[in-house]
Amino acid sequence: MKLVSISLRNLRIRFVATVLTVCSILVATALYAGILVMAEQTSERFNGGYSASHAIVGPKDTSQLEIVLNTIFNVGDAPALFPLKVAIDLRNPRAFGGRGQVRYGIPQGRGDSVSRYAFPVVATIDEMWSEYELHGTTLQFAEGRGFEFSWNDLMQLAEGLATYESARRAGEGPPPDRPLLRPEWRKCVIGSRVARTLGLSLGGVITPVHGKPGEWGTHDHPEAACEVVGVLAPTNSPIDTTIYLPLGVHLLIGGHEGGVFVTPQVPGKSEAQLAEMPVTADQIGLTAIIIDPKDPVGDQILRNAFMRRPDAQIAKPREVIPKFLRDVGSAADVLTVIAWLVLLVASVSITVAIYNTMNERRREIAIMRSLGARRLQILAIITGEAALLSLFGAVLGLVTCHLAALLMRNAVEDMTGVYLDWLQFRPWELWLLLGVTAVGGLAGVLPAVKGSMTQVADNLAHNY
Amino acid sequence: MIHLRDVQKSYSRGGHSVLACAVDRLDVAAGEQVALIGRSGTGKTTLLHILAGILRPDRGSVEIVGKHLEKLGEAGRDRHRGRHIGMVYQTFNLLQPFTALENVLLGALFGRGAGGEARLRAEALLQQVGLADRMHHRPAELSVGQVQRVAICRALVNDPELVLMDEPLGNQDKATGGQVLDMLLQLASDRGKTVVMVTHDPESAQRMQRIVDLASLRADLPAEVAK
Repeated sequence: MKLVSISLRNLRIRFVATVLTVCSILVATALYAGILVMAEQTSERFNGGYSASHAIVGPKDTSQLEIVLNTIFNVGDAPALFPLKVAIDLRNPRAFGGRGQVRYGIPQGRGDSVSRYAFPVVATIDEMWSEYELHGTTLQFAEGRGFEFSWNDLMQLAEGLATYESARRAGEGPPPDRPLLRPEWRKCVIGSRVARTLGLSLGGVITPVHGKPGEWGTHDHPEAACEVVGVLAPTNSPIDTTIYLPLGVHLLIGGHEGGVFVTPQVPGKSEAQLAEMPVTADQIGLTAIIIDPKDPVGDQILRNAFMRRPDAQIAKPREVIPKFLRDVGSAADVLTVIAWLVLLVASVSITVAIYNTMNERRREIAIMRSLGARRLQILAIITGEAALLSLFGAVLGLVTCHLAALLMRNAVEDMTGVYLDWLQFRPWELWLLLGVTAVGGLAGVLPAVKGSMTQVADNLAHNY
Repeated sequence: MIHLRDVQKSYSRGGHSVLACAVDRLDVAAGEQVALIGRSGTGKTTLLHILAGILRPDRGSVEIVGKHLEKLGEAGRDRHRGRHIGMVYQTFNLLQPFTALENVLLGALFGRGAGGEARLRAEALLQQVGLADRMHHRPAELSVGQVQRVAICRALVNDPELVLMDEPLGNQDKATGGQVLDMLLQLASDRGKTVVMVTHDPESAQRMQRIVDLASLRADLPAEVAK
């Protein structure tokens, strides 16, 4: 038998009070841990989704945060379109004073999704597999390979679409045939979580959905169904939840015909007149270009150049995301204070719950003292009760937090793009456990001091 | 074993100091079984608490099992009591939430430790007093005689040199209580323990080797008590 056995027995005797007090600690711990988990996973998620040198080119009249959140983290709807000319200029060694070169500039088109999980579909080119780097390495495949759709394929398709659309708008004779969706383009690459959730592997078929499930006007695109040719290895980034298919599929998908061109604003021309004007290949609309400037000087030159451009702007995740996390962090700080207050109230409830039993326990304490128990041992027994209450509450609180993460992870990911890893235990959870237990132990000090001051002779004399 | 010299203990009652116990001289040899008798108010329980180190006398010297308790601090007296003194109370003072075995082990926990050895000792004692099949029963599930036997086991579990008893027959019928008291005295005698029992019951006192009337120890007894 140990002192802790006495503490445990005392808690068992007052079962209802024990359960209620444990519940209050549970709520405080779960709340606090939940806030920390969300903040941490948000930070991990947002900081793990890009490389330090990455920059995103997006449409001009959109906030930089929106561009970054949508392009890197699949949050929110695709912003407006900007012309392919921007991507062409980025590849021109003489553009931007010959100093704005980029290691790569990978165009993207968005707007479709797949399955009830609303996995976003990103249309791009095959440089995503050969050039794009995340944290210093190209994307790795768990199985299969990347699809083939090159920059040249994109340019040829853009020319064909422009010729067709210009002829259609001119209305002079039958227009040439619209470029067809080639069977070899109907291939896609899926992120690791998409594969896991949808049970897809090589040879599986993805049918894009225009819009998001549940939204008005959402419809399937069976004509653009793509065969899975590659499954990416996990990156613990939004790439895991993304479906990549060739930009050619995106541009030729049914219903996108009129919307693939960006119409430039011309003074004195109405929208109807602009819609009748011939188009060029470089007017093909993109939602983003992921670029990696070759050096810091080039980075700055590009920034200055894009500040003057009317059609697009540059957003740096490295600058936008920390500010975003600071703003989110402020809200988390408020919640953290609330969680601490709940914990404080729970600790006071421990003090009250145990203090109130001290009068009825005077005889029990006197008996133990008469058997040789020292005041310190009585102190240890009673603070031990308080600490055990807190420990039980803290353990259950952490378990509750993890179970909540398990139950809510899909909803949270759908809403925020943040994936909650419910099985991941973090070092701070141990510290939280110890901290809550220590706070609970402290809450027991007052009643423990009262108990240890019990007069032995007086209380033994009473015949209860 | 026990040497008391010029011991006095007073309480403050209603702003006045009331002498509760005064002993000029008391000696008890090792292995002796002594009954301290006296009428109500003569300070029997106070003296027992002084012998146990629960109370500290206002003056005088109290030597128990080779230690001068008046020189020890409270924690020292607690430790001394836990290791060298076993106590049996009139109301037995078992803790209700604990089983018979656990109550006995509580005595060991605050004495010489409640490890595996103490558990074996506790089980052996309970078997010896006929409670082998009641070890895991709570006090409320035991008869008064059985509770008393558990209290005796708890007093002996640390193998103390001195056993102090405060009206151990309590409110029991004399036949049952007498049998249990005889059992305790036999156990104590077998183990060479010194036993001091305070009682106002002459029949119980007769079972001890020596009877000491508390009044005879008090030279300066107040008149209303000395009569």
